[in-house]
Amino acid sequence: MTALLCYQAALLLRSQRWLPPFILYAVFLAVGVQGGQPILDSLGYAAAALLPVAAWLVRICVTNEPPAARSCVSAAVGPGRAHLAALLVALGAAAMLGTVTIVVVTLVSDPASADHQTRVPRLPAGAAGLLAALACALLGTAVGALTTWPLLRSTGRAVPAMLLAALLSVVVTGSPAQAAVSGLVTGSRSGTVPLPVLPLAAAALLTAAAIAAACALTSRRSP
Amino acid sequence: MQRDLRLHNVGRRYGLRGPWVLRGVHLTVPPGTLIRVEGANGTGKSTLLRLLARLDAPSEGRITGRPRTAYVPERFPTALPFTALGYLTHLGTVHGLSRPAATRAAHEHLDRFGATAHARTPMAQLSKGSSQKVAVAQALLADPELLVLDEAWTGLDAAARAELERAVAERTAAGTAVVFVDHDPRRLAGAPDATYTVHAGGLDRRTGQESAPPTGPHTTVVVQGPRGAGLPAEATRIATRTDEPTPGIHRLTVPASHSDIVLRALLTARPPWHVVSVSQETPDPSEAESRR
Repeated sequence: MTALLCYQAALLLRSQRWLPPFILYAVFLAVGVQGGQPILDSLGYAAAALLPVAAWLVRICVTNEPPAARSCVSAAVGPGRAHLAALLVALGAAAMLGTVTIVVVTLVSDPASADHQTRVPRLPAGAAGLLAALACALLGTAVGALTTWPLLRSTGRAVPAMLLAALLSVVVTGSPAQAAVSGLVTGSRSGTVPLPVLPLAAAALLTAAAIAAACALTSRRSP
Repeated sequence: MQRDLRLHNVGRRYGLRGPWVLRGVHLTVPPGTLIRVEGANGTGKSTLLRLLARLDAPSEGRITGRPRTAYVPERFPTALPFTALGYLTHLGTVHGLSRPAATRAAHEHLDRFGATAHARTPMAQLSKGSSQKVAVAQALLADPELLVLDEAWTGLDAAARAELERAVAERTAAGTAVVFVDHDPRRLAGAPDATYTVHAGGLDRRTGQESAPPTGPHTTVVVQGPRGAGLPAEATRIATRTDEPTPGIHRLTVPASHSDIVLRALLTARPPWHVVSVSQETPDPSEAESRR
């Protein structure tokens, strides 16, 4: 499995297709997050924006390998494991991007509530932001896994489905990502740091189910 | 672990209501056998190979046995962001080799197929033939237990085609099961243990191939044995014709791809045989012309 992850990671890195989502995320943050803004608000913004980026990274990782090359790897390790490696590399990339972003946002933001009256400690706020970002990265991976091959093959259907699903995951009540992000935003108003462990656990469960479904389908759909 | 790959009443269709591509297929692939699959275009040969490589799950029936498998697709893409050597090293580790062993095997196989000059070439700049060499090398890197070749010879130059035939002979002698599809009837002619024809979604074992004379290039090996000894079993199994022109001197006609294997069997027999001569049979020129 390590060799497989190395191969997929090298494929992602060398293809340079990770650049557009990374750059777009950076631009999005540059617009929405500025130094001296309330810390929990900025963290919530950074976490929410990570969800579509994670979904996009999954799409890149899954479509990166030409079908014939995927067949060669799948014959050696089984198609399910080959697909799992691609999904895990995308999740890892999103989690890494999220972690770096959360650290930077934690350092540049004003450790205060939304009205700048109550002090919010930096470290617990950063930890809460990290959990929320991970929940978003996980849920984004689930969205990506369910809106690309082997579930949806045509780009025309897959891309709109992915964007719509990513948007709904961020805004619809009941979604773990929405719960984690809104927890940060309401915490910012009251000046209390939430700990979004429950949303993270829910996101992990949902993602595990989505990944399992996608991997199980790999040998049933045509390439 | 059971190494025999078995297909039990296997059927495959794409989509929930798609037409059946294959149905009612029974096939056993024991270790060390060479199996040829024939059939017209679009009859489901590639689907059968994908089932054997466990890339596709059967829509009905079941497949048992999971040998370590390597697969060579009919068209290998060059759109990979690696050099030939880098890709092969990655694939070697995916096949279970350690990194140094994978690099060594990658060099070895690039050399074997005459592609050493392309080791540091980005895959995107490789010609079709050179990238097919990479695909073939990828499959042979880690000595698989099952080798599935989907028209792997297409696009290779003459030297590499012959080398791949020899590699297949070597692997089968070492216990690897090989299943291949190729449209050239001379490909490994006389060597397969079984030939199957995919026809109308089913699989027929072709019988009576012995009646048709093998048409591929052959090598004649003349050996002298210890008094009263019979030829080693492996040599007689591979040979398409054996006779004894003078007492004690045996003449074997073997597929050219398998001459090394037969010589090895003869020379390592206890007591060893003496090789008197090895000669290449020249193929009939009229047949050579009909060759595609």
